[in-house]
Amino acid sequence: MHNDLNMRGSLTIFRREFAAYFNSPIAYIFIIAFLVLNAGLFMTGFFLSGAADLRGFFGNLPFFLIFFIPAVSMRLWAEDKRLGTFELLMTLPMRTADVMLGKYLAALAFYLVALAGTLTLPIMVGALGNPDGGAIFSSYLGAALLGALYLGIGTFTSGLMRDQISAVILGIMACFLLFVLGIPAVAATIDGWVPGLGSLLQNYLGLSSHYEMMLRGVVGAADLAYFLGLTAVFLVLNALWLEGRKF
Amino acid sequence: MIEVRGLSKSFGTMKALDDVSFRINRGEILGFLGPNGAGKSTTMKIITTFLAPDSGAVTVDGIDVLERPLEVRRRIGYLPENVPLYLDMNIHEYLTFVGRARGLEGARLRERLDWCVEACGLRTEYRKNIGELSKGYKQRTGLAQALIHDPDILILDEPTSGLDPLQILGIRDLIKSLAGHKTIIFSTHILQEVSPVTDRVVIINEGSIIADGTVADLSRGAMGTNRVFIGARAEAGAVEAALRSLPVVTELKPLRATEGCRFEARGPFSDDLVGSIERLARERGWQLTELHEAPYSLEDTFIALTRRARGLKEVA
Ligand SMILES: Nc1ncnc2c1ncn2[C@@H]1O[C@H](COP(=O)(O)OP(=O)(O)O)[C@@H](O)[C@H]1O
Ligand SMILES: [Mg+2]
Repeated sequence: MHNDLNMRGSLTIFRREFAAYFNSPIAYIFIIAFLVLNAGLFMTGFFLSGAADLRGFFGNLPFFLIFFIPAVSMRLWAEDKRLGTFELLMTLPMRTADVMLGKYLAALAFYLVALAGTLTLPIMVGALGNPDGGAIFSSYLGAALLGALYLGIGTFTSGLMRDQISAVILGIMACFLLFVLGIPAVAATIDGWVPGLGSLLQNYLGLSSHYEMMLRGVVGAADLAYFLGLTAVFLVLNALWLEGRKF
Repeated sequence: MIEVRGLSKSFGTMKALDDVSFRINRGEILGFLGPNGAGKSTTMKIITTFLAPDSGAVTVDGIDVLERPLEVRRRIGYLPENVPLYLDMNIHEYLTFVGRARGLEGARLRERLDWCVEACGLRTEYRKNIGELSKGYKQRTGLAQALIHDPDILILDEPTSGLDPLQILGIRDLIKSLAGHKTIIFSTHILQEVSPVTDRVVIINEGSIIADGTVADLSRGAMGTNRVFIGARAEAGAVEAALRSLPVVTELKPLRATEGCRFEARGPFSDDLVGSIERLARERGWQLTELHEAPYSLEDTFIALTRRARGLKEVA
């Protein structure tokens, strides 16, 4: 009965937060900007190289989302702190983790809506050529997991900050770090300073290698574990931080 | 029932609460009084489980706020000082959200929405965006939010702050209408707010409780002496001399009078000042135009108490 109520609590928060995205014009601006930019990148690739594939689109996503995702998640906690509703949420009969999950999933759903808007691209590609359906599917899975991870980071940084601007800047920096650590040249440079450290960071924290496997159509358990595990870490940190604030 | 025992809380080096204790029984209304920065909000945040104390304990109906916070939250309706409103929602959406988050649904939710909208006078603005509401309606929406689950306990942090006199009256009536059914703590830094709503006050100053009791008890303790106004149609000098000769009168102050004479007499609370003066007047054959006790206002009491508390701190 207890868990049941908590699920319902998360669902209530989810509904409010998801609606809040679409209550503001910013949501539509975000979605349109996301689609236009991504479709634009795809088209440019298509016309320049004549290649009717989605590599350009998916390949750019880890960089592009560094800016898009923290902007989506920045309001999650910072907005409630500004409005004073944070105090309401923290005195509702549900755990901090339940509130957090509702908020996080609302942001994820919003991102998935934007991502779903790009499904016109594979349809176009399908009409023009003979794409690898499996790779497209796994690429979308990779894009969803990538967004989920960035959103976990963004939710965490939103919880640290009182205002949205600091939340988005900190979020961008944290996502950028994961992105950069995954770049082989960066790993090699760090290895040059401290032998082994760069590769270690690249393997455990850097996202490129995990993400790129999925673009190639390979969904490995280690890659899934990387995305889901790291996302969970940030969400747990988020809940712990918000609980710890009481003291 | 709420029991607060030995609460202390610091923010950095700032000691916001220092060994705060008081209790409030079921069905009681408590005015929690103190100047800005005294620690009222901090105390309320601890009772509502938003903050944890550094030391001390709070139990709500016997449940410890640190051990079982969710159960405490279920019993409490809380209006924080910064009214927590989602400006992009209308009143209906907002109250529905809070109601659902508190486990209400279906017919029960609709019934509670109806009740709150009626009790808080929100009908006309019900579908308006909260961001567009006046300060008074925002405050009432916040109050409705605290009432939505029909809690046994209400914690209201400065529920009338920033409202105009008519709106204050409305909120006051609402609180009074809940008297007897609910246990209520409301805080204010305005003395006049307390007496119309309740008798029972706890006064906090600089993080410490400096008084706890009824307004009458407190003025007794704080002011030390009772105060009586006397007016008589008689020769002023004779009246003054006679009053001074009464053993129960420790202080006598002549006042200006339009006819006859007027005096303010003070004496210990334990003595029957009015009775003694009445007897004296009958013996001497004065015609009294006025004879009554003048209860001290909460202001006088408050000033005396804070002065005394400051004196004690300096001594210590
Ligand atoms: N989050 C906080 N951080 C730092 N200081 C705080 C915080 N909350 C309250 N204080 C300080 O604690 C003291 C008591 O504040 P508060 O409980 O809000 O008083 P009141 O509600 O009686 O006006 C004040 O000096 C205030 O500045
Ligand atoms: Mg306050």
